Amino acid sequence: MSENILEIKHLSKSFGTHEVLKDIDFNVKAGDVTSIIGSSGSGKSTLLRCINLLETPTSGEILFHGEDVVSGRINQSRYRAKVGMVFQSFNLFYNMSVLENCLIGQHKVLKSEKAEAMDRAIHYLDRVGMTPYINAKPHQLSGGQKQRVAIARALAMQPEVLLFDEPTSALDPEMVGEVLDAMKGMAKAGKTMLVVTHEMAFARDVSTKVVYMADGVIVEEGKPGEVFVNPQNPKTREFLSRFL
Amino acid sequence: MLAQLLADIASIWAKYGSVYLNGIKNTLILAIVATLIGCIIGFICGILQTIPCAPQDGIVKRVILKIIRILVRVYVEVFRGTPMILQAVFIYYGVPYFFGYTFSSIWTVSIVVVSINTGAYMAESVRGGIMSIDIGQTEGAKAIGMTHFQTMLYVILPQTLKNIMPQIGNNYIINVKDTSVMFIIGFSEFFAVHKMVSGAIFKYFPSATMEMAGYLCMTLLASFILRWVEKKLAGAGSYELVNADQLAATAGTYNYPKKGSPFDETSKEFRNER
Repeated sequence: MSENILEIKHLSKSFGTHEVLKDIDFNVKAGDVTSIIGSSGSGKSTLLRCINLLETPTSGEILFHGEDVVSGRINQSRYRAKVGMVFQSFNLFYNMSVLENCLIGQHKVLKSEKAEAMDRAIHYLDRVGMTPYINAKPHQLSGGQKQRVAIARALAMQPEVLLFDEPTSALDPEMVGEVLDAMKGMAKAGKTMLVVTHEMAFARDVSTKVVYMADGVIVEEGKPGEVFVNPQNPKTREFLSRFL
Repeated sequence: MLAQLLADIASIWAKYGSVYLNGIKNTLILAIVATLIGCIIGFICGILQTIPCAPQDGIVKRVILKIIRILVRVYVEVFRGTPMILQAVFIYYGVPYFFGYTFSSIWTVSIVVVSINTGAYMAESVRGGIMSIDIGQTEGAKAIGMTHFQTMLYVILPQTLKNIMPQIGNNYIINVKDTSVMFIIGFSEFFAVHKMVSGAIFKYFPSATMEMAGYLCMTLLASFILRWVEKKLAGAGSYELVNADQLAATAGTYNYPKKGSPFDETSKEFRNER
């Protein structure tokens, strides 16, 4: 239970001369639900994108079960398949139906059997309450529905860690609830999750660990009870005072 | 006047009708085949030009990609920047001149010339089409572990094809008309028939009228078919809701091979908990 799935060591990322991430260190254990909070521009999303190698870190290491994924020894596509990602802008494949969105990765990446893939896709679509819409195309769905399909698509790949990049930020308040409910269900089922979010209630009530970031560094991390109730750093205190 | 024209057309048609029809047939076959091959060339060039190149990639890969890009660029610029009538002459006489190979059929030369000309235009259309697809689609595909090749094949290119369908139609219609320059190397398409027939019987205007009507029919038909294809590609406008109970009954009946992860939701612990 205590094994680190992901270890991030001295991770830095610069865009030109602008240093977005400065010497980030932190670990993700199996079963952790980690919320990364902080104001916009603090590097939260960049950190997540670095972990999934959508951005190449400038320096530092990302260890997946002790193996460095940045140096390129490990097959990047295979690594990405084990680390799922849910995007703010959903990124569902527009040329496919809801069901096909959940099948394509299993067929082409995992090379699963047809029956197994189908069963798994429907299982997860059912978990997020989207089974009635399996024949719909993404553009026919509402934002909340799209995001729930995106979660099912990520889950269908059976990832070891699931990354969420502000999954509710593009949704109106009514739809935020349905997506958060789906995420709560996953947290309860013991999924390892890393969530960048502005939903403080989710961070406080659902996550097992909270990380507060500002200006590209981790200012404070700890159990939600500690960070929210008794923040040690004045920056954290100021940030949280605006929400609570 | 008009009665005279109609009478002339009727007399030409009676004598040379089958020759005109054969010209139409040749024009259509050349335009369709060359547009298809041109599309394939265009897709290959477009795909080659959009292979991502990251600074951390090896030097060999970067050099090869650079060379490919330069070659494609040169091809596009040369064949987009010179008249097709000249390209036809250039290839028809140039290949035997340099390689000693004489084309056995005028069809081969014509298809080659029109195809690579179309390919040069399509390469740019495909490149634009690929670039117009939201970067999120690529990221979504990468995030579930697809390789660049899989991402292109299953996600990007199907969307690109739909987006550039009007452009493909455009090229096809241009080809129907522009294959007329192939008369220069003796290909007997629709316009060459006009030159031959009117030269024999000196009825230039009635023959030209027939040609105008013939080309217009071919292009209008093409527009009509292309609209229909576009509509087909757009897919159904609505969808059927699926009965959830029906699906729930099938979900969970599959007997998974043991994967052994405690967080696999299909594992025994989870099922019991549920």
